[in-house]
Amino acid sequence: MTLAESQALLHALLEGGPAADPERLEACFAGTPELPAAERVGIYAGMFLSRQVDALRASFPRLAALLGEERFEALCGDYLAAHPSEHHDIGRLGRRLPAFLRLHPDPGRPELPDLAELERARDEVFFEAEAAPAPREALAALPPEAFAAARLRMVPALRLLALAHDAAAAWRGPEGDGSPPARAGPVALAVWRTGFEVVHGPLDADEGAALASALAGEPLAAVCAAFEGRDDPGGAAASALASWLAEGWIAAVEPPPGAGA
Amino acid sequence: MALRRVDLGHGIGLRTAHFGRFLAERPPVAWVEGISENFMAAGGRPLAVLEKVRRDVPVALHGVSLGVGSVEPIPERYLDDLERLVRRIEPALVTDHLCWGRHRGRYLHDLLPLPCTEEALAHVAARVRQVQDRLGRQILLENPSTYVAYREADMPEWEFLAEVARRADCGILLDVNNVHVSAHNLGFDPLDYLDGIPAARVGQLHLAGHADRGRYLLDTHDAPVAGAVWALYGEALRRLGRVPTLVEWDDRIPPLEVVVAESRKAAAIEEELLRPAAVAPAAGPREAVAP
Repeated sequence: MTLAESQALLHALLEGGPAADPERLEACFAGTPELPAAERVGIYAGMFLSRQVDALRASFPRLAALLGEERFEALCGDYLAAHPSEHHDIGRLGRRLPAFLRLHPDPGRPELPDLAELERARDEVFFEAEAAPAPREALAALPPEAFAAARLRMVPALRLLALAHDAAAAWRGPEGDGSPPARAGPVALAVWRTGFEVVHGPLDADEGAALASALAGEPLAAVCAAFEGRDDPGGAAASALASWLAEGWIAAVEPPPGAGA
Repeated sequence: MALRRVDLGHGIGLRTAHFGRFLAERPPVAWVEGISENFMAAGGRPLAVLEKVRRDVPVALHGVSLGVGSVEPIPERYLDDLERLVRRIEPALVTDHLCWGRHRGRYLHDLLPLPCTEEALAHVAARVRQVQDRLGRQILLENPSTYVAYREADMPEWEFLAEVARRADCGILLDVNNVHVSAHNLGFDPLDYLDGIPAARVGQLHLAGHADRGRYLLDTHDAPVAGAVWALYGEALRRLGRVPTLVEWDDRIPPLEVVVAESRKAAAIEEELLRPAAVAPAAGPREAVAP
């Protein structure tokens, strides 16, 4: 058996288990009476799945807890069959799991894709690049005439999620099938990092829209326009921007070209 | 060419769970080892942490996805990412495993065993040379934990690894726990393994915990180093002399001081065994070259 043939065989045995090709398994691998070759190959087959399930559990701990061990492993098996790893970093294995859950919904748990979306965002934010936050007076330092056209550069470790269910409640809720399904309805969540801790929190609809504008690189006039429905739009915008600065979401306030800031 | 031996002392793995404490406390370890693939993203928090730690202590980069024995070509993207990381970090050591791990463009995320045949030997040696040429430096190959043997093996693993190192002119990362686990599982004498490894090629030792699953041992990296492995570590030191030693702990990771204590235990064993009046290394003089 050539090297290529032996690797193709072991790969088939990893995916299908030792029973996938018992004759060639015995021809290729040696065992002992205490531990036959099939069981030895089975050790690798077991680790092949469990290592990937462990990686997915590390990225989606609340999803795993909510589903319970058996259902989570079954989900991982289905997901990995559809999306085998194509990246050398096993930590990226779950990048498509939220989309997979949307394509294969659980009628009794419609919030699962959103919970997975939240956990993927938390995972990504933890590993995102560091960026020094802008000083709290960064906006105040902007010349008044430059304000409307200025843009915010947000830190990389920040995500805005527009979800169909209250994934934050599912994230903190009790584990297992006994927990009630999360509330349906549009929910905006911000996910960011404080030191080594990843946190998330809900945003009002207008603040979510404002943050979406800021992340899209739109000028401050567009960002602030999201608050036009408020009784005090200017005050609401100023309050939101101040909180973004305080949370360290803003890396820089970039005046328009030619402005004197 | 001889192995570029680096005198690092005793280190531990740099794991995400300990990032914060590593930055805040500068733990009392001489060097750290990072899993290469965890730091390959061009930016990102892990790389920033590694660069900060690198300012204080030497760093080794330990890969798990090179799959140097895979028959399909090493992906250019992987080599690009590794080369960029190596140039950026300037690690004291670059290491990976004697294994294969890719098939049909997919990463299997396991250290799969190679048949110890002439065909595999020529293949692995050529691939190691390819990686070394790309990086412009030697790498070290680690013996994996093994659970099954190929019927058509032409030689034992230690001879295979020694010959790969000779043909490719690379170093050896001797994982003492893996020697113990494989010896138990495959029924060979671990001292035969130690005796078969050329001392001058060994640039690093690994220590880790394993689990006893009844009919076999499983390399888990989730427990303290076992007594039998500490004993085998002593035997390795008697044969190899002073070699940079690293304690790995990758699952059910305990508080940092627990891992540091394991590393200190290794240092104490080395100190006890290799005091000037103690046993001299069985091998000849070894070249010590700064990176």
